[in-house]
Amino acid sequence: MDMLGRILMVEDDAKDVELTLTALEEYNLANEVVVTHDGEEALDYLYSRGKFKTRPSDNPAVILLDLKLPKVDGLEVLQQIKSDEKLKIIPVVVLTSSREEKDMVASYKLGVNAYVVKPVDFHEFVNAIRELGIFWAIINQAPPGSVRK
Amino acid sequence: MPLLNFDLQRARPTLFRYGLAAIFYLFALGLALLTQHYGFRDVALPLFLFAVALTAWYAGPAPAILAVALSITSFDYFFTEPLHSFYVSRSEIPYLIVFVSFASLVAWFSAVRRRVEAQLLQARDELEIEVAERTQQANLLNLTHDTILVRDMDFFIIYWNRGAQELYGWTAQEANGKRSDELLGTVFPAPIEDIRAELLRTGRWEGELKRTKADGTDVVVASRWTLRLDEQQQAVAIMETSNDITERKHREEQIRTLNQELAGRSTELEATNKELEAFAYSVSHDLRAPLRHMVGYAELLQKKASSVLDEKSHRYMAMILESAKRMGNLIDDLLAFSRIGRAEAQMTLVNLDQLINEVLGELRQETAGRDILWRIDTLPVCRGDRSMLRIVLVNLLSNAIKFTRRQPEAKIEVGCADANKDEIVVFFRDNGAGFDMKYVKKLFGVFQRLHQTDAFEGTGIGLATVQRIIHRHGGKVWAEGAVDQGATFYFSVPKF
Repeated sequence: MDMLGRILMVEDDAKDVELTLTALEEYNLANEVVVTHDGEEALDYLYSRGKFKTRPSDNPAVILLDLKLPKVDGLEVLQQIKSDEKLKIIPVVVLTSSREEKDMVASYKLGVNAYVVKPVDFHEFVNAIRELGIFWAIINQAPPGSVRK
Repeated sequence: MPLLNFDLQRARPTLFRYGLAAIFYLFALGLALLTQHYGFRDVALPLFLFAVALTAWYAGPAPAILAVALSITSFDYFFTEPLHSFYVSRSEIPYLIVFVSFASLVAWFSAVRRRVEAQLLQARDELEIEVAERTQQANLLNLTHDTILVRDMDFFIIYWNRGAQELYGWTAQEANGKRSDELLGTVFPAPIEDIRAELLRTGRWEGELKRTKADGTDVVVASRWTLRLDEQQQAVAIMETSNDITERKHREEQIRTLNQELAGRSTELEATNKELEAFAYSVSHDLRAPLRHMVGYAELLQKKASSVLDEKSHRYMAMILESAKRMGNLIDDLLAFSRIGRAEAQMTLVNLDQLINEVLGELRQETAGRDILWRIDTLPVCRGDRSMLRIVLVNLLSNAIKFTRRQPEAKIEVGCADANKDEIVVFFRDNGAGFDMKYVKKLFGVFQRLHQTDAFEGTGIGLATVQRIIHRHGGKVWAEGAVDQGATFYFSVPKF
């Protein structure tokens, strides 16, 4: 596994992972993605614990975070990130199926940088992923300490 | 007779009373002369005394003095030697003095007795009047349906009215002399010492008492006690008036029970609502994911295999994608619909004119390339939830835009009218596809569509959402239309 990722994706649904990676492939961004499948794994990665013990210490340029996750859910991950001095500078984009206002409000209250609802339409989905990838991984000036290429 | 006499003495004019003295005197004189004529001796003096006494009795002291004077003069003239002369011999003087003294004594006794008797009579009359008054009052107390009982300070009943008899079942004869708390089995709301202390301090007490009637049934009364003081300000009795509130207490109890049930239901409802929310959340999240995957993979397949697919297969792929997309829309609309039921309405002042311009700006994309004749009146300010009313306007305007699509000259009109003093009515009129009035009741139902999907796309939730929102505002929605003649939709909302 490539341990050096500019995008940390937290997504438990393998199909969503595949579709997202496919969407990012066109911009050659797929290789920059580290996929974690639940909240615990995501936090392990961010704190270089468990199987990510040996990963380079750089922070990802952006985190794509699903909300409905096994073990530790997305909002808890978000809360942990935003309450940690070292991690809170990493931009977090919530990428979720939920259109529920309370999720959106909770995310923004915790300090999320963007909230994107996954569109059902594949074109829209691809566009959304692409724009997110390009904006956060390429255009946006990532905070110091994150991976640059 | 004495009453009559008393009245007469008072009422007689002075002249009449002196006349009476003269008559008594003349009567005595006549009788004395008659007896003298027939040879009886020494009858005159007692007769004159008798006349004086009668005068004193019936005419008062002053006429009695006149009678004494007349008597002594005539006695001297007619009955002492020398007869028929006013000459008074020396030997007769003591005799006359004794007569005058005796007559005066008789007159005085008579007058005093008379006065005492008059006073007694007056006192008796006053007493009779008071007794009559008291009796009337007691009868009035008896007439009232309120329960009135009076007890002495040791709780022994001394008065018991008919209301008490009707309520508790004992007659006054049975109740009088008994201890009220024992007879009635009174349950006090506080220690009796406290009640007594309050009564003595303030002179009154009010409270609810539980009692047992003669027939053994329980009764709850609202009781008011008042302390009766004698002239020395000593408490002598307690007057109690009560009303039967058993029925009221019973109803209060029922209301309490009903309220408890209601609270229970409300909790259940809240739980159901929470479940529903969880369900909607789950639908929102979990139902859309597989749909997205279907569309995603179908598109990938289409892309990959486009060169090997024939025209029919391309159409099948297109159908799969279209259906999935439609389902996505259905889920979104259904969720929006259910959200309206759950969300709290934030009632504020809403400028409908401003709102409709905002919405029109948003819908510009849908009207691009269309030739639509708009006529939009100035809309008023109303009371409502802005974001919900926005959904109403979006739905009604997009409907109008959608259903006039086939019209070469589309006309869409928005206007308003005062319905009454509390409400305004806003209408949306178009010259589009319209509908058959016989299906008007189906128009606002969820998933009800009056056009085929091929002709006009839609999920059949828009008007149901409109209706739900307007109903939450306490308003009404209705529509008029005819096939190919256009449609008019109305809704009413509370005025500002």
